[in-house]
Amino acid sequence: MSSHDLELYSQIQAGDQRALEQLYDRYEKLVYSFAYRMVKQEALAEEIVQEVFMKIWTKKGVYQEKKGKLSSWILTITRNTSIDIIRKNKITTHTFEEWDSLKSDQTETEDIVLWKEKKEKLKIAVRELSEDQQQIVQLFYFKGFSQQKIANTCSIPLGTVKGRIRLALKHLKETMKNIDERGVNDETRGV
Amino acid sequence: MRQEACNLLIDYFNNQLSKEDKEIFEQHLESCESCQEELKELEEFTEDLPYMSESITPPEDMKARVLTNIFASEKEEDATVDQNKKAEPEQGSNVSSFPLEKRKSKNKNWLTPLLAAGLLVSVLGNGILVMNQSEDTAESPEIEQEESLDRTQLSAQLAPSEGIEASATATMVEKQNSLNLMIQANNLSALEGDQTYQVWVLEGEKPYRAGTFVPNEEGFGAVSFEMDQLGDHDWDVIAITKEPNATSETPQGDIILSTEL
Repeated sequence: MSSHDLELYSQIQAGDQRALEQLYDRYEKLVYSFAYRMVKQEALAEEIVQEVFMKIWTKKGVYQEKKGKLSSWILTITRNTSIDIIRKNKITTHTFEEWDSLKSDQTETEDIVLWKEKKEKLKIAVRELSEDQQQIVQLFYFKGFSQQKIANTCSIPLGTVKGRIRLALKHLKETMKNIDERGVNDETRGV
Repeated sequence: MRQEACNLLIDYFNNQLSKEDKEIFEQHLESCESCQEELKELEEFTEDLPYMSESITPPEDMKARVLTNIFASEKEEDATVDQNKKAEPEQGSNVSSFPLEKRKSKNKNWLTPLLAAGLLVSVLGNGILVMNQSEDTAESPEIEQEESLDRTQLSAQLAPSEGIEASATATMVEKQNSLNLMIQANNLSALEGDQTYQVWVLEGEKPYRAGTFVPNEEGFGAVSFEMDQLGDHDWDVIAITKEPNATSETPQGDIILSTEL
């Protein structure tokens, strides 16, 4: 699948509209859902989707294979665009907003299996973080706060922000890895 | 200084730096191994997090809107080479975007023509087939890439003729001094030989060529046409036909899709 991604990408680079459409079809839902997760407004999420694919099409952003998967790159653009939109529109969401996906899974008809699997694992992994850690991941990654703003919000010294982010993310990643090894089901039973 | 630059990492990752600071950090990054390491680590640690998002089904017509807008925009040929090394993280703040309020006004107009379009099929019928064949319109179709999207004047859904599964949207965009018609169609049946799909704009019963295209294997096709080359007209209808080749000066095939303006 990722080799197909690369093929599509090079066709897009050559100006092939059909290739862009195929890439669009493949990532529309993921990009839209992630953008919505960031900005919490449908109209803005659509705006972000447009900008992301616009950047791919107009070559404002250039992907390199050595930088990792194309999907990761697209999601990075999505996040950066979302942060821009958040800033431009001065969107303020509740600081102590919960991880909404921890509450309940309303997507019965998940059509991307890998996505769902990852989400399940992430949910479990996030539960293993302390509340402070959950908050800092939320503020840093999904809200795109500046270092200063994170320090203010969490009432921690500016100099410790980076280290705390790193620790929380590392914990999350390692838990994910453990779940991979142990399997989701064991983990669920253990909790 | 070195220490200071290292402290910009989080704000760099979060796209929160001023242009100056961003440049400073990127310069610094080239020589600072620990920042390179940490940045890479952040990317790895966070790569799964987008999948935390609940999956949300986008609006049905979003794809048509987004792709139409994108294909109406200019392709930045010059941005290919030099930007390679700064490609990631891709910094959105440098990229111009369409003014939000303009796009919104387009969305409002979207539904009305859609509702009206259904009524038009019967009106149009086979009208074009019996149209005056002697008129000579020498304009050749051209595919144009636009610099910027200034103002969407019209956005309409084309109604399929009976027995046709295809759908298409027409968007008229005014930029600076020119007016462009963008057509985007889905579910088109495959073509044979030299066949093409031809867009026509009609004033009264007189057809003018307004773009030629060939769909891909998924039946998706799009074309942009500069209307100004046709001169001043009051357009009544946009229609798409299937033509035996790309040179028809008047419609030879049946109308596949059409809408009144």
